Amino acid sequence: MDDSIHSEHIALDHAHRLEADTSLTSPDSYHPAVSRFDFLQRLFRHAVIVSLCAPMMAPAPTAAAQDEHATQSASTAPQPVLMDAMATELHRALAELGSSTEPVTASKQKIPAQKPYFLSYSVADAESVTITSQYGAIMNSSASHERTADVQVRLGSPAEDNTHGTHRASALTTMALPLTDDRAAIERTLWYATNRGYGKALDALEKVKTEQQVRAREEDSSPDFTAERPQVDILAKEPALTVDRSAWESRLREISGIFRQYPNIFYDTAVLQATHETDYFVSSEGTKVEAPNHVARLIVAARTRASDGMDMFRDETFEADSAGHLPDQAEVLAKTEAMAKGLNDLRTAPITEPYNGPAILSGRAAAVFFHEVLGHRLEGQRQRGDEEGETFTKLLGKAILPEFLSVADDPTLTQYDGHPLSGHYLFDDEGQPAQRVQLVQDGVLDTFLMSRLPIASFANSNGHGSAEIGKMPTGRQGNLIVTSTKAVPEAKLRQMLKDAARKQGKTYGLYFEDISSGFAVTTRRSPQAFQVIPLVVYRVYVDGRPDELVRGVSIVGTPQAALRSIVATDDQPEIFNGLCGAESGTIPVSAVAPAMLVSQIETQRQAQGTARPPIVPPPPLDDAAGTSSSPKGGR
Amino acid sequence: MQFRVLVLLPVLSSFALAQAPPPADPILSAMQQELAREKSDLVIPGMLRPYFLEYRLEDIHTYDAIASYGALTRETESHQRVVRVEVRIGSQTSDSSSARGDGSLELAPADGDPAALKYALWSATDDAYKNALRAYATKQAALKNFQSAPTANDFTTAKAVTLIEPLATLTIDRDDWKHRLIEASGLFETSPETRSFADAVHYSSASISALVVNRYTVNTDGTALRHGYSGYTEGVNVGGQAQDGMELGRSNGSVATTAAGLESSAALNKRVVDDLISFNQLRHAPIVDPEDYHGPVLFSGDASADVFNRLFVPNVEADRPDIGTSARTQGVYQSSFKTPILPTFLSVVDDPTLRSFEGHSLLGAYKVDDEGVPVEPVDIVVHGKLMNYLVGRQPVKDFPESNGHGRAALGQSAHSRAGVVIIKSSDPLSTEAMRARLLALAKEQGRDVYMVETLSGELAPRVLYRVSPDGKRTLVRGAVFDELDQRAIRSGILAAGGKPYIAQQVAPVPQTTIAPELLFGDITVKRANEEQQKLPYYPPPPLPQE
Repeated sequence: MDDSIHSEHIALDHAHRLEADTSLTSPDSYHPAVSRFDFLQRLFRHAVIVSLCAPMMAPAPTAAAQDEHATQSASTAPQPVLMDAMATELHRALAELGSSTEPVTASKQKIPAQKPYFLSYSVADAESVTITSQYGAIMNSSASHERTADVQVRLGSPAEDNTHGTHRASALTTMALPLTDDRAAIERTLWYATNRGYGKALDALEKVKTEQQVRAREEDSSPDFTAERPQVDILAKEPALTVDRSAWESRLREISGIFRQYPNIFYDTAVLQATHETDYFVSSEGTKVEAPNHVARLIVAARTRASDGMDMFRDETFEADSAGHLPDQAEVLAKTEAMAKGLNDLRTAPITEPYNGPAILSGRAAAVFFHEVLGHRLEGQRQRGDEEGETFTKLLGKAILPEFLSVADDPTLTQYDGHPLSGHYLFDDEGQPAQRVQLVQDGVLDTFLMSRLPIASFANSNGHGSAEIGKMPTGRQGNLIVTSTKAVPEAKLRQMLKDAARKQGKTYGLYFEDISSGFAVTTRRSPQAFQVIPLVVYRVYVDGRPDELVRGVSIVGTPQAALRSIVATDDQPEIFNGLCGAESGTIPVSAVAPAMLVSQIETQRQAQGTARPPIVPPPPLDDAAGTSSSPKGGR
Repeated sequence: MQFRVLVLLPVLSSFALAQAPPPADPILSAMQQELAREKSDLVIPGMLRPYFLEYRLEDIHTYDAIASYGALTRETESHQRVVRVEVRIGSQTSDSSSARGDGSLELAPADGDPAALKYALWSATDDAYKNALRAYATKQAALKNFQSAPTANDFTTAKAVTLIEPLATLTIDRDDWKHRLIEASGLFETSPETRSFADAVHYSSASISALVVNRYTVNTDGTALRHGYSGYTEGVNVGGQAQDGMELGRSNGSVATTAAGLESSAALNKRVVDDLISFNQLRHAPIVDPEDYHGPVLFSGDASADVFNRLFVPNVEADRPDIGTSARTQGVYQSSFKTPILPTFLSVVDDPTLRSFEGHSLLGAYKVDDEGVPVEPVDIVVHGKLMNYLVGRQPVKDFPESNGHGRAALGQSAHSRAGVVIIKSSDPLSTEAMRARLLALAKEQGRDVYMVETLSGELAPRVLYRVSPDGKRTLVRGAVFDELDQRAIRSGILAAGGKPYIAQQVAPVPQTTIAPELLFGDITVKRANEEQQKLPYYPPPPLPQE
């Protein structure tokens, strides 16, 4: 075989070398054309903080953050080509799959063919822009467009299918779809993914059946899938994303340029992320949903290190429905300056000592606290399964909070008191309509956050089945709203703190202004502890001395004890908007809560870091090369 | 990205450090300023100062697009910069470096802001110094466990070199290429030659991948380098299964230093159709004999290049041996210095000064390596004997000086890496003569023999023919080779010749291997006996009507 003489050739008859095509050869990875430069990915992950449920300040948007799409009536827009292709191919798959008898690979006998009892196609068509800045310069500015399909195949029956127990992921196959509405190409890609998914599901179903025969009886023998009514709602898709990148690059340079004035802050970043996404969902039950969603986030973060090696960080997130609605530059600069100054002060704050006494959590801190300590433990799937701790499973109908507190989760809300809420959606990732759910009423536990995985106490979804692309949905939070009927003005709450401290013979109470999420440990094998990371803590002295900033505080305790010790709240709810990571991936969430007085909180000293601060001061800013100390930016 | 003015100063400077001329590039200037400041100020009181510091900035621009089944599925472009800082503590005899290499990475400003660039360098330098102090202490303690000293120093000296080459820029007609990919990936159903078996094509994609790197390097030897390289790769990937479930496919393409140098649209389409037809032929081809074959196999230049890239090249790139051993280097040739490792009629040279070959621009060409050492041709094998290893600034026993092969993958430390490897025969046969030799052997031995066109990963044959003594070729599938190893290339090659084949790769470092056809006397061909996958559970969607 003679090669062409036009140019250099390499016969790349190595399937693995054409890395560009991992989307087809390994469809389970939803990142085709995986970057060759793993080290760059790692650096970017450090640069762009994907905060695990980190608390963020709620901005005051300059314009009302209305979601017009939510008010549009159902089925007014025509069915798009993409949805049509999804529906056609889905029904063809259902008709053809399992229509002939085939032996399953492991056993030698022919068994009756398995028709899927459920099949769904979920496609996320997303455009996004990300601009990253550090120390007054732009590190990266990029745009992307991706269409990704999650194919879900269930074999067996709702009572027992291939997702049972540890095989949940067997139902899901993820693949990149054509970016254009080329019907034939879309259908063929969906066929390829569905075929793979069917094979995985067959294999898992056989394992499930064998395991069920061999194991001890399960505590919760609920079915594997709920019965729900189909939904049809075709809303207009997201318009194309437009972001004035050069204007934003200027703004970000100015924002991160603030840190040039703080030589002790050795890491900073300011990132803009804007996304327009349209989600399409088609299922064998007849559900057909098209829903838009759009968000813009501006995240500023910084780190410093005390001379004893303790690392400290702060971050702020501003969120709006679009980049154009984010706060103006003056406001962002002011908040960034405050954050930088606060972080700088923290460097030299005295270290705390172990403490057991009363404390106030600010509204923002309380919101994070409730998200971690309560919210995660009320996810439906955590009430079932051999590995789950099931803290609250048997407490339905019992008081788990003081009776003046109630907790709802409401993804239908787009905003709270004029501020956008990150956890808003119209339909969850299983095509179920979002619902407001009253989790706790007057302190009593009423229900859980349900996906289509039923549990002993609840047989239906309540629209909280969420997941990141490439993961199977599980029950997740949306917008967690904590309300109180024992609300007092902030000044009164402060006084109550001092009174409680005095009564307990303490010279001060603690005030947690800002905390970050640690991780919620909910599994059976680990002790039921939780860790949130206090970022900004003050001693509030009983004798009227000014509040004193301290560092190195770490909260310890068990969830139920912590919740039961809440004594009162203030009357000013605060919002945190953030990204929350768990088994079904990273999703946007929010939590709203007033400040809370707890009678008993136990803290210990944070583990000592061992790294030194930087040895040499940072490079001088004004020198012969003409580097400027203030980079260009602003309006 | 702005064009810099062409400033080509191929200066092999013999100036001492302080007299190195200032480079004409503002990024290099900024890097040198921070380097000077750190060199003077960086020390923890009471601890060792670094004896060597190196800063490297990589400006990486990529463009990738893939089309599948006749539609575009992905298009991404990224442009980012990263700095890498290397700090060495101790001395050249024994320092803090590990075999893998040690460096600290930081993102660097994409917009060239000098203050932010210096800040990134400062941050990475702080990390690198602290890591080096730790590593030095650990290593000195570890060395005390062993009886004999290491067989070579940890680092060599090098003269200061200043070489500022033109910047490389990513130039490609994106729209044109997207159309090509879309068309090519859809040919399985639109081309009359392939439509009849389109249902059997499970995947059909075409992709383009462009990588342009500009590297800026300064170090405390006084070296200042600016070097850019480009690699453009396009390819197709088609395949499916035979009726018995065996997975089959063809995937190949072209590589060039410019987008214009890749194959034409017509050639790409022809490649796809040829690959599809080949895939279909493989589907219908018989499986290779169930009993093993041991005998002559003729390897095409393409296949031979793969063999050398896998079995030979990595083993002549000298790497630091494991700590505590008396080995010279890693790999199977570590103690083969001046001994035969190939037949006497074969010689191998690595010549990165060769910039083109038969009209093709060679990716592996360069003037100065990534450690600042200029390169000249190296005779690796002379008449079958191993005479030189490829060495960077990490010396090995008997090779105390770098021969200009210290080359770094992106974000990585420099290691000994080949540039342009050329395998030549002192007695080359023509293509026809090679065939004739093969047939002569078949006749002599009274049996069918084999020839292989192209391999897949792991040196398994992808397009393999059984050849009868009368010259009749039969395509067979499902085979693997065995005993294709260093012994086979040392004493099993009977002849070499034919048209040299140019194998090029862009990553991890740009590299070229030029290999002739090779006739092996005794290779094993046997059935792969892999688990067969299920055929699709249901047919693909019906093709759209013409």
